[in-house]
This record gives sequence, structure tokens and C-alpha cells, in this order.
Amino acid sequence: MDIRAQISMVFHLDKCIGCHTCSIACKNIWTDRKGTEYMWWNNVETKPGTGYPTRWEDQEQYRGGWELTDGEPSLKSTSKAEVFPNIFHHPAMPSMDDYYEPWTYDYKNLFNAPEGDDQPTARPLSMVSGEPIDVEAGPNWDDDLGGSPIYAANDHNFSALTPQQKAQLFAVERLMMFYFPRICNHCLNPACVAACPSGALYKRGEDGIVLIDQNRCRGWRSCVAACPYKKTFFNWQTGKSEKCILCFPRVETGQAPACFHSCVGRIRYLGVLLYDADRIKEAASSRDEDLIEAQRSLILDPFDPKVVEAARQNGVHDSVIESAQKSPVYKFVKVWKIALPPHLEYRTMPMLFYVPPLAPVMSAKEGDVVSNVSKGLFHDLDEARLPLEYLAKLFGAGDTGKVRFALKKQMAVRVWRRALTVGDIEKSLAERMLREAESSPEEADAIYKMTALCTFNDRFVVPPAHREMAIEMMEDPQEHKQSAGFGFLSAPKRGS
Amino acid sequence: MRTYIPIALRMGAAVLITALAGSRASCAPAAEVSDDFRQNCFSCHTIGGGRLTGPDLKDISKRRDGDWLLRWIQGPKKMIEAGDGDAVRLKDEFRGVVMPDISAMTPARAEKLIQLIAEESAKEKSPFKGLSLIDRPLLPSDAVAGRALFTGDVRLKNGAPPCISCHSIGGLGGVFGGGGLGPDLTEAVSRLGGDKALAAWLVSPASPVMRPVFQRRPIDASEVLPLTAYLKGAVAKERPTGAQARLPFLIIGIMSAMALLAAFDAMWGKRLRSVRRALVARNGSLEDRDE
Repeated sequence: MDIRAQISMVFHLDKCIGCHTCSIACKNIWTDRKGTEYMWWNNVETKPGTGYPTRWEDQEQYRGGWELTDGEPSLKSTSKAEVFPNIFHHPAMPSMDDYYEPWTYDYKNLFNAPEGDDQPTARPLSMVSGEPIDVEAGPNWDDDLGGSPIYAANDHNFSALTPQQKAQLFAVERLMMFYFPRICNHCLNPACVAACPSGALYKRGEDGIVLIDQNRCRGWRSCVAACPYKKTFFNWQTGKSEKCILCFPRVETGQAPACFHSCVGRIRYLGVLLYDADRIKEAASSRDEDLIEAQRSLILDPFDPKVVEAARQNGVHDSVIESAQKSPVYKFVKVWKIALPPHLEYRTMPMLFYVPPLAPVMSAKEGDVVSNVSKGLFHDLDEARLPLEYLAKLFGAGDTGKVRFALKKQMAVRVWRRALTVGDIEKSLAERMLREAESSPEEADAIYKMTALCTFNDRFVVPPAHREMAIEMMEDPQEHKQSAGFGFLSAPKRGS
Repeated sequence: MRTYIPIALRMGAAVLITALAGSRASCAPAAEVSDDFRQNCFSCHTIGGGRLTGPDLKDISKRRDGDWLLRWIQGPKKMIEAGDGDAVRLKDEFRGVVMPDISAMTPARAEKLIQLIAEESAKEKSPFKGLSLIDRPLLPSDAVAGRALFTGDVRLKNGAPPCISCHSIGGLGGVFGGGGLGPDLTEAVSRLGGDKALAAWLVSPASPVMRPVFQRRPIDASEVLPLTAYLKGAVAKERPTGAQARLPFLIIGIMSAMALLAAFDAMWGKRLRSVRRALVARNGSLEDRDE
């Protein structure tokens, strides 16, 4: 056993209102520099939709993640033999158009335009070339448009649906959409780290945050091709790659990352998981249908004395173990089992988990009248607006069972709380639903509390980073007095 | 304290080296000028050894005007272009072979060379009388060994590049022939004025391109004879000329380019081109839909 700590995340999709506050918080802190305008380390996608970059889930084209060859995971994007011939031009590199060309507006013209017959306008200007452009796409193009004909209709996850299911999803009275906020998953088996020819990417030993060393990065962009979630980006100004850093300067000072902190819907949870690093390869080599269980088995019980002892021997600080015991993520993923990893079939073992969303009640159209046809609060899961197969493709590695379990438990919790607080549902019915969902009134109350009444400290259990200890081991802490802050100590230059 | 010792040592060594260099410099001029002659003149000229590629220089200052000689050494080409009578006559006499311009030839340097020639002319047996390399008849086996040296099948002893890297000869090497940097050597023997002259040339090639290469890695004395034999025996084969000669090369070039492109296509043909644009193009733009 090689027990390590990983800062992990849960996004509760039923709470996301799609306001993009997280994206803006991140952009303002990290990616408002020249060369990074097109990057959205945090972005919010409307599903069904093609996302950002367009159709990133289509690994036939983007070739990200891992595939099994002879039972062993190997990179889809490259191999030892391919690194050299492709080093100056990787064949699976998305173009800027696949993200979008960033733009601003010619605001000056509104003030400086000469007098004329027409109102002056502010034309869109490319933030790359500075020339006027016709805006064709953006990072959240067709936002809130679940049934849009080009982007929503080409959602890659529809490959799991029958043509009939897909046609139903696009019928006006059955339209459905939900939001899918994404950041770097800080994977246990990161393809970006494995692909880097310069060894510039690394996963921090103490908390599992995946980072790119800006001094070692040579801009080969292999990480961009290898990451199946397309969450590493190439900075065309510095000639280096960049990615979400999970706001480690904030995390190290006990604050939640900016996107977590600013989340209006309070959908985000952060906490430490203890995992067994020795068994990552074994788990990543599992068959598709066993992947979710294999990943769950990597995450260990922080209350188990054996695990605690092994973690301690491996150098995990007591305060981090304590933090792991309070982790909301552990509860969502391992205890309640209602949070699932996105596209685990890419085998990078993402450590960001999603609570799948419930669908609105079903409507039917009779003549010109659209009315509710669902009995009770929810519609039957198998006939819901959003087919289970769709969510299973997204969060279950194709296994509808895991998604069904998560949705059933959430529905049971809501019915149980409705029975308690409103009382228009028989308590016995609610208890039966809980039993069917393999839950209990106690667990339902705990889920309810963590979902609806959660405070800042419930949602974000940030482990102490003990930076002071790390620094004291190597140098005099006074040496850095008044010299800390954001920025490059030596600014990276293109070609340096 | 530790650091002072190596510094003192180094300073001592530096003083020593400077002193040695100084002593060498003091006796340099004589050696320098004879080196200069050996490297730049000796491949074509002897002093009292008879005519090679160029004339015998014995008592040249008695036969030629001093000023004319100075100008000639500094720029033979310029003088021929200027139409100097003696210079043009020299060119005709030596089958159109013109003495190469020697880089950085200053009046002082030329003066020293003339002085050296005068001194050596007075001697009974000058070291520049010429080499007696060709002291036996050339055998067919020499030509075979020479061919191996020419093509580089056998490496030149001192590590100089084989002749074929810059020269072609008598259709050797098929379509590609030899290198194109230097002239074709098929007629080299007659052009330089006989095998003796050629052998002298090979000892220290004096052309501006060859000199810097062969100065440090000269052709060994044992290699001169076989090469001379081979060059002498080289006979011009019937070779197509002009556009006809270039045709096979052109065809081979086009075919290799195609093969290279095919290889590129096999390697990168499936690369990711465009996802979003292709998607929009496949599904038609929204405007098309409204119509």
C-alpha cells in the first residue's frame, strides 16, 4: 500500500444554475493575460451540446486519454515511436478555431467615430490578430440551447442513444438541458503527465494537484493532445502550456479555489481523499464495466486504523488525515455513492466527481396545450426526458446501473424530505422509496443537509498545506519575507 | 587561501607560455615565408626543378620586372582582365590555366616571397627544387588503388574527404556522378601539364577551396602515386550532355519527392484538421436552415 492524499472535488449538477460565475472568477485571476484569452480553465457547458472545445468528447478525432492494448493502458495520442516524428507537429492538435477565436469590441469607435448619419457601432476585433472578425463561435456557444440544430444535435454522447430516443429528446415538449461545469480533473492517472516529452508536468505528491513547470515546458503541446478533457492549453504568447492549478496558492493558505469560492449555486465541494497509489495501474486496466468500482476501490476509508497507520508511515500529516475524515467528497463518492466520475472510460481516473442531475417532469402536447403528465414529483426514471443511457455515457462509463442508483437515491431523499416538511406524501411511501434506493432516513437527512443546508466549512474542507514546514526544511523562511506574490520570477519568453 | 595557489600557478604558466611564444615569434619570419611558399606556390612551381603546372621560378626576378611580379602575385586574374600583354601570353602558354588569387596577399607578403625565390635561386640545391614522387612507372594496380581512394572506398590516411565528394570523373557513379563543387577531373592531367605537375598539385592543393581543407589533412605521399595513376587513366566516357543529362536526375528527383509525400501522408494523413468548422459545414449553417 502506498497511501497518498488527493484534493478531490464534487460538482452537484442538480444545483448548477449555469451562471458562469466560476468561469469569470477563474478568468479574472488566471487567464486574462495575452496569449491566454482563449483559455477557460473553468468552463460551463450546456448539455446536450458539443462543449468546449467543440466535440471534445470525440476521442476518435482528438485522440486523448488511454486505451487498453494487450490489457495495459497506453496513450491514445502518442507512443514511444511516435514522439519523435510528431514532435514539431502533433497530428491530434486542436486548432484555435476548435476552441474559438477570442475577441473584444472596438469600443473606442463609440466615442471617436466622426459625425455621420448612422449610430457608431463597436465591431468585434480578434484578440489574436487585432483585426475585425465575424464571430462564429465562442466557449459557451449555444448556451442554454438544449435542442439547437448544429451544436446540441452533435453531442458525442448521443452515440449511446437509439435514433428514436434521440428524436424524442428533440421534441419540443420533451426538450431538456442541464449544465456541465468543467475544470481540470487532477486525475490519478493523468495522460497529460504521461505524454510530456520534457517532463514538465507533474502531480504533486502532497495533494495530487497536476501542474506544468513553466521553466521546464518546451511547448511541444503533447499534453494538449493527450488530455481527453482538453484541459491543458497552449499559451501562444509565452510558447508554453498552461492549465488549471486548482488555485494552489489559495488552497495552500486554507482558501477554496476561486471557482469554488464564488459558486452561486454552491454546487462545489472540495475535500481530501486517501488513495492507494500502488493500485492505480491495475484499476486503470479494468474492463469498462468494472472501471467505476475499480476507481472507488482505490479510495480508502480514512477511518480505517490500518489505512490511517499506513498513511502516517507514508508521510501524510495527521491534520491531512483528519481533514480526509471530514471530507464531503468521501461521503458523496464512497459512502452515498451518488457522485460519479466523468468519462471514466478515458482511464485517466479523474478525481472530480459529478452528482448527476434529475430531469424535470414530463410534458405532453395535446392540440395547442402542453401539460404535465408525470405522476408525483418526478417522472419514472426509464421514461425521463433525458435517457439514462445519455447520463451513463457521460458519468457511468456506459453503465446505466450506477447512474440509476445515484438518481434513485436523490429522488428518494427529496420525497423523504417532502414527506417530512410538507406532508403531502405518505411517510411509509417515502420510507419504501428510501429502502428501494438502498438508503435510510438517517442517510437521507445527511444528504439533505450536505446538499441544501451546507455551510462554507461543510463544502470546503481544505487540508492544511503546512508550507511553513516544507520551507523550513530547505531554507530560511525569513528569506522569502516580502518577496512572495503572483507572477513569474523569471518571465517565460518564447523560444527561451 | 586555497584559491590563491591555482591562480598563482596559472599566472606562472601564462608567463611561461608568453615567453615561449615570444621566442618563437622572433625566429618566425624565415620559417613563415617558406611555409607560405610551400602552401601556396609549391604545388605548381619549383625553383630550379623545371616546369610543373606553372613555370620554373628560378631567377624569375632576373627575367621579369620587379613591379610586374609584385602586381602579378597579388592579382593574376585582375591583370589578365586588364589585358596586360605578358599576363595574357602566360595564360595562353599554360593552356588557359590561370594562377589562383591567393587570399590576403599583401604587398609585404609578396615582397617576401620574391626575396625568398631570389635567395633560393642562388642555392645549388634548393628544397623547393621539387619532389621526385614519380620515380617509377605507373602500374595498372596503382590505378585500381587510386580509384578506391578517389571514391572513398579506402579512406585517405590523414582524414581528408575523398575526391568524389566534390569532383566527378569520367562518368563514375552513374546518374548522380561525383560532387559538383569542384571541376570534372577527367582532363585534369593534360590541363595541369602532365603527371608530374598533377602529383605536385596533389601534395598541396592550392586552390582557395581545397587549400583550407587539405592544409591540415594533406594527401599522404604514398597516396599521391595511385591517385595520379587513376586520374591519368581516366577516359571520358560517352556522356549525354545538356538537358538530356539532367533528365534521369529529374525523374529520380520527382519520384523521390512523390515517395516522400506518400510517406508523409501515411504518417500524418489522419491528423486532426478541423472539428468545429467541419461540423458546421456538415450540418449547414443556420441561415441555410431558415430558407
